Amino acid sequence: MTILEAQDVSKTYETRGVETRALEGIDLVVDEGEFTALAGPSGSGKTTLLNLLGALDDPSSGQVRLDGENLADLAPAQLSELRLRKLGFIFQAYNLIPVFSAAENVEFVMELQGVPAAERRKRATELLAQVELEGLGDKRPLEMSGGQQQRVAVARALASRPRIILADEPTANLDSKTAIRLLDLMVGLNREGGTTFLFSSHDPLVLERARRRVWLRDGGIDRIEEGATA
Amino acid sequence: MLSTLRLAWRNAARNPRRTGVVIAAVAIGMAGTLVSMAIFYGMMFQMVDNAIKTDLGHVQIHASGYDADPEIGLFLASGAAPERRAVASDPAVRASSIRIRGEGLVTSPSASVGVRVIGVDPEDERSISMVGDAIVTGAYFGKRRTAVIGEGLARRLGVEVGNKIVISVQDLAGDMTGESLRVGGIFRTPSAQLDRGTLFVSLTDAASLFGMNDAVTEVVIVAHSRDEVPALQARLAAALPGREIERWDEIEPVLASILTVMDQIAWGLYLTIFIAMSFGIANVLMMAIFERIREFGILLAVGLSRRRLFALVVGESLMVTGVGMLIGFGLAGLFLFALSDGIDMSGFAEGLGAFGIGTHIVPVLTRNDFTIPAVVALATALVASAWPAIRAVRLRPAEAVRHD
Repeated sequence: MTILEAQDVSKTYETRGVETRALEGIDLVVDEGEFTALAGPSGSGKTTLLNLLGALDDPSSGQVRLDGENLADLAPAQLSELRLRKLGFIFQAYNLIPVFSAAENVEFVMELQGVPAAERRKRATELLAQVELEGLGDKRPLEMSGGQQQRVAVARALASRPRIILADEPTANLDSKTAIRLLDLMVGLNREGGTTFLFSSHDPLVLERARRRVWLRDGGIDRIEEGATA
Repeated sequence: MLSTLRLAWRNAARNPRRTGVVIAAVAIGMAGTLVSMAIFYGMMFQMVDNAIKTDLGHVQIHASGYDADPEIGLFLASGAAPERRAVASDPAVRASSIRIRGEGLVTSPSASVGVRVIGVDPEDERSISMVGDAIVTGAYFGKRRTAVIGEGLARRLGVEVGNKIVISVQDLAGDMTGESLRVGGIFRTPSAQLDRGTLFVSLTDAASLFGMNDAVTEVVIVAHSRDEVPALQARLAAALPGREIERWDEIEPVLASILTVMDQIAWGLYLTIFIAMSFGIANVLMMAIFERIREFGILLAVGLSRRRLFALVVGESLMVTGVGMLIGFGLAGLFLFALSDGIDMSGFAEGLGAFGIGTHIVPVLTRNDFTIPAVVALATALVASAWPAIRAVRLRPAEAVRHD
């Protein structure tokens, strides 16, 4: 079943009157249960495409559909609701809320969804255990290692029970050992829980685990490779 | 909503020095303004109280037309018996007294001074006026055929207790008449005007002087509280048709308008201080916003609505201002507690006396005096945070999450 779909999507940025075309004519379909990576060199448009697919930015032309719904038809409040209920994000720089503990970071999304306090506390504990952070729920992000912070980010992304998790260079700030542990965790979540992942990355550790690699070059899709190599 | 509030509170606590500066500014501004206003209000209330307790009372009853032309020909006959009956039966009345009030000239061996001559029943008058308790030399009608005068008038006339003075008035028949009395007592009240220009005689002497027989010019009433005065006035007006029933603020509208002006000055003062403060609050919030662009991007990315992001920024401002305000209230409370015995302002006695204000000022604050600055401070915080909040909600999440 198709979750995300980009139809002839282009994105142009304008800086001081100079237009820069970041993406052009992108057609892409992401189905439920995929573990896919957008790959390519820096400046190829990976992050821009991920932002458009994640309703964090608007395309200059074309359509992005989530569960068949054209994002351009949605009001800002509806887009917020969609990000809250259907999308999970993992960022390169972890991007946790620094004044919240690990558990509070995970609970925050559930509270926005209106999950009762007792249930979200229970689920936050379970999610932190799932990403191997038992007993660290009271720690604040600055008291944790990069790998631990990124695991909290994974738990946070899972907390809203999203249709798809979008991960932008999730291993870029991690050493390879920590990156492997994190990626194995995500592979497990995908295989056992059916969670759909869409990565933007040029990290070979990510690409060799992805079952589909969409290679971008100069704002367009260069080629698509199927099958994990790891 | 709880998490948003918690987030707002923790963000406010994130930079203690910066938040502390705003809290301190609000607290000191609030405390300073409240203490200043309490002292001003103390002075103004004392001025009104002094006027009520020395001369005005809360309500006065006169014959019709007296307010427009206060002359002794407009009197209340039979010692104002019907009026006094109506007054005595009203539960709001604490005390009342009858008076004869006229104009006259008082002469001593060294000077002649135009004065208000007020004939009073000494016993009744004590229950409505502080003059009897303000005697500094002599006694308050301790002997017959004596006059009680203010310290200022005694000085102008160059007389002391026991000296003879002559009072000349125009009597009820329109004839000039006079009587010689001795100074029986000299009083000192906070009102320089009263002390310099008023002469009290007994009701009997005044009746004889003005040829009034048993007529009087006014009934002065003091109510249990100032709040009961309008209802009391209405009841007396219904019971005594054809009489002028006036409240203190109708007799002396200037006094009432001073209190109104004080309220307006208070609003102006609060607004000025907090508008100035709002620039500081807005500046601090803008700095906080620029430092947290990435964090706002994350919040938007994980599904926080722009409305709640707006509430988050405004909430931080309200919390910081609210804490400053409460500390300011506490500081003001401490200051006012320390000043609760009053402030000695003897150095300004002459100037204060000109306005009927004593030299011992007790600061006064009512619950309303806390409400107005609280409303102004929180409204200012709201306005000051609106601009930074609008900047925050206009962020594009895709750019904000990558902001350095």
